[in-house]
Amino acid sequence: MQFFRQFFSRRRRYSDLTLSMREHLEEKIEELMEEGMSREDAAFAARRDFGNVALIEEHSREVWQQPLLQFILADLKFSWRQAVRLPRFTIAAILTLAIGIAAQTTIYSVVHAVLIDPYPYRGAMRMVHLHLYDKEPFPDDLGLTGPQFAEFQKLPVLDGAIADDVYGRALTGEELPEEVQEARISPNAFEYFGVPALLGREFAPSDNTHVAVLSYHFWKSHYDGRLDVVGRTLEMDHEVFNIVGVLPQRFAWKGSDLYTPLAYSADPHRVANVFGRLKPGVSDRAAEQQIDPLLERFQHETPDNFPQIFKVHMVHINELAIGRFRGVLIILFISVSFLLMLACVNVAILLLARGEARQTEIALRKALGAGRQRIVGQLLTESLLLSLAGGACGVMLALAGIRLVGHFIVILPGLFPQEAEITLNVRVLLFSIGVSVATGVVCGLWPALRASRIDLRQVADAGSHKLAGRKGVRNSHMALLACQAAITVLLLACSGATVQRLSRLMHADLEYDPQHLFSVSMTIREGTHPTWSDRVGYYEQIRRTIEADPEIVSAAIAQSNLPPTDFASTPVSIPGMNTAGTEVEPERVSADYFTTLRIPLLHGRTWSAPEMAHAAHLALINQAMQLRYWPNRNPIGETIVLNHGVTPVNAWTLVSPGSDQHFQIIGVVGDTPNRSLEEQVVPAVYLPYTGVMHDWVNMVMRTRGTPSAALLHRIKQQVHAIDAGQAVGDIVTAEDLLQGDMGRDRFVASMFTAFALLGLAFAVSGLYCIQSFLVTQRTREFGVRIALGARREHIVSLVTRSSLLAVLAGTGIGLALDIALSQIFSHWTSGNSRDPGMLAIVVVVLLIAAALASIVPARLAASIEPMEALRAE
Amino acid sequence: MTKSPEYRDLFPGALEMMILQSLRLKPMHGYALVKHIKQVSDNLLQIEEGSLYPALQRMLKEGWLESKEGISAKGRPTRIYRLTNAGRRRLEQEIASFEKMFAGITRVLAISKA
Repeated sequence: MQFFRQFFSRRRRYSDLTLSMREHLEEKIEELMEEGMSREDAAFAARRDFGNVALIEEHSREVWQQPLLQFILADLKFSWRQAVRLPRFTIAAILTLAIGIAAQTTIYSVVHAVLIDPYPYRGAMRMVHLHLYDKEPFPDDLGLTGPQFAEFQKLPVLDGAIADDVYGRALTGEELPEEVQEARISPNAFEYFGVPALLGREFAPSDNTHVAVLSYHFWKSHYDGRLDVVGRTLEMDHEVFNIVGVLPQRFAWKGSDLYTPLAYSADPHRVANVFGRLKPGVSDRAAEQQIDPLLERFQHETPDNFPQIFKVHMVHINELAIGRFRGVLIILFISVSFLLMLACVNVAILLLARGEARQTEIALRKALGAGRQRIVGQLLTESLLLSLAGGACGVMLALAGIRLVGHFIVILPGLFPQEAEITLNVRVLLFSIGVSVATGVVCGLWPALRASRIDLRQVADAGSHKLAGRKGVRNSHMALLACQAAITVLLLACSGATVQRLSRLMHADLEYDPQHLFSVSMTIREGTHPTWSDRVGYYEQIRRTIEADPEIVSAAIAQSNLPPTDFASTPVSIPGMNTAGTEVEPERVSADYFTTLRIPLLHGRTWSAPEMAHAAHLALINQAMQLRYWPNRNPIGETIVLNHGVTPVNAWTLVSPGSDQHFQIIGVVGDTPNRSLEEQVVPAVYLPYTGVMHDWVNMVMRTRGTPSAALLHRIKQQVHAIDAGQAVGDIVTAEDLLQGDMGRDRFVASMFTAFALLGLAFAVSGLYCIQSFLVTQRTREFGVRIALGARREHIVSLVTRSSLLAVLAGTGIGLALDIALSQIFSHWTSGNSRDPGMLAIVVVVLLIAAALASIVPARLAASIEPMEALRAE
Repeated sequence: MTKSPEYRDLFPGALEMMILQSLRLKPMHGYALVKHIKQVSDNLLQIEEGSLYPALQRMLKEGWLESKEGISAKGRPTRIYRLTNAGRRRLEQEIASFEKMFAGITRVLAISKA
């Protein structure tokens, strides 16, 4: 307190002091004059007795001064003036740092939110799905009956397990039924997840089965987030459920709308999927070894629920959600670290260049008595001010970056796990700011320390110094420049590879027309339309009603989703051919599927209406299948046997009479993607959907134009008229599915491209800065050379030669690194970073940018007027 | 300022002690203080008049003195210095320690005379 009072009362103290001293002298002079001295003599005597007035005043004032604080204030004031005097330098340095910091922080925040801490669940990283593999790579989640689950839960390797069964249900009680996703989860589930309810409570084993806990998004969309929802009821298929609670936003298990307690049925065919959490320290391998024998016993009890030969495999929930995207995120993180490094290099170049330009100033200050400490302190203040300003702007940009990523999540759902919440990671923000401050300090101090060793004469005798520029400085500049070029090449190559891949996906040959194509799903209420023929009629009636709508061109029924993805292989055998171990993709569809999707029919025909209605044993195959099994023959009329002649059955399917899985081929259609856009189309068989019917189905339809908002409502009304309890799901458009499939590629390509462009901008600004610095530094020398008859081209080459050599060397290093690292890159991103055409473009882009950056300094050097240059000191 | 051999430097703290002691009598302004010290010491102590001021600032800062606006003997505005309670305590300490030192020095001198 006293410190501040004294500090701020300094000026008053100073004037008091001056007043006292002046009065002292005056009084003395007057007294001496009274003794008979002349005024002149009296003044002289008074001063002699008093001593050095200025020095005494100075000493007296020093008593009140806080040297450190005042030095800092003076330094800050001076730094501010410096910054304002060179606005371009200041803005360039601050912006560069801010972008580097923001990019690093944003990407790390994503990595942290998605890879390191994506789930709110207790022990989430130990939670596993139990996949059953038989020979094929397409696994099933483990499904167990009630007693089996009870036994499974007690395994000592597990830290809890849950069972769930997800249903599409009709939300009734409103004007039109609406399809919602209900997850029936074992009553111990909430204790297992360990996430407390946002509102009300979760259910426990003591609750009856007619309680429901709402997901956050369902609560927001259906109840406007009202607090009085707890205690109200809702109806699903006319069954009443009591709402007991609402879950927090990040609880998104299976992305369901609401959760109800699972009551195991006594039917041994009605299994529920089982998930577990491993005890800490238990390896996947150890767990699998303990689980396998138990499952083998279960297989003996209920052979229908298990594949014939299988192996259990643990898949951690995040691995499932992220998969190979993990590698992409890590590469993104590495690239963005490179970007931060580039930014720091750029600032280093700026600071070093300026430090050199200020050698004279620093030497002069030293000659005037500034101590080494004061000079270093001054330059340190300047660097810190720049770094901190960069950091502050970086924070703001990082916040904007997080919002941008949030935008990506909105337009590309499925990019990250639903539970992940991307927020600014403060620790990384501080780390990035720390790195930038360190850069500022090191690069600001280096010239200062050097300068504090030289004395004024050396610098002021600037002739020798300014003739060639200092070699050490030039070398460090060239090294930094080469480093920038190398990193930029790497970033550009990553961007080129990902963009190339994205463009390949976007221009993939689809063999169907996704425009104006969409589907809605429908789930039959349990216990309705229970016979096969009833269900066939019901589905066809709905299809015809939809097709009659004036907006609809055609409608079809499919049990698979719209392309491009569907995974459900089944073993195939062809009489007279060795097909052991091969599988095909069965697609169960109606005859109108091909016309609705506009899949070209290449040979033969499709099913007739009576064939469809009777589930005739006739199949169409895709071209990939023809090429695989009958490369030079007409396959029409050939017979194929699926799944060893066994019809897949479970509690939710109805099978046509006489189904033996033998099919005769009647046609060949085009290859629509059935893995993902980038993977090759696998052999597929199209079968009448009536052969094996599930309790849910997709209605696929094509509209004349963009579907109107009223269309879905009309479809719901028409379906309601056929069966009042039937709910209709949301519209899924084929284009959205395609976008979703490309979502991650799009995200990755945009990120890499943004980094590459920023990197390029940094490199160009570094190059520009070094060359301009060179020109100002050597103006006098160039003037002399021109006066002595040097040609302008020669001067230009002096300016640009070494920089361009450095850029070329950096480019070479960058290319070498890129080729060395391309294996890793392609493993994680499936992009090809060593494509020669793409690399050529990268090099050309970099060189053009470098040439553009050199134009201004080169012209500046060429236009030096010898007379002016020599006078300009 | 050249120093004649008959004068010697003051020991550290001596000036402060004399200022405190002088101001204990009554508050004074700068010149009056110098004149008072010179008069009382019969001009035996040689002090550079200006050296009073840094000492005054130090003592103000320590809180031993306070200054307020006032008028000099010649009617000009100046600053009057006054002893605070803290200054009074300080003076007592200084005198006590000075007397101890002086007694010590006297004894040493007495022995060497004998």
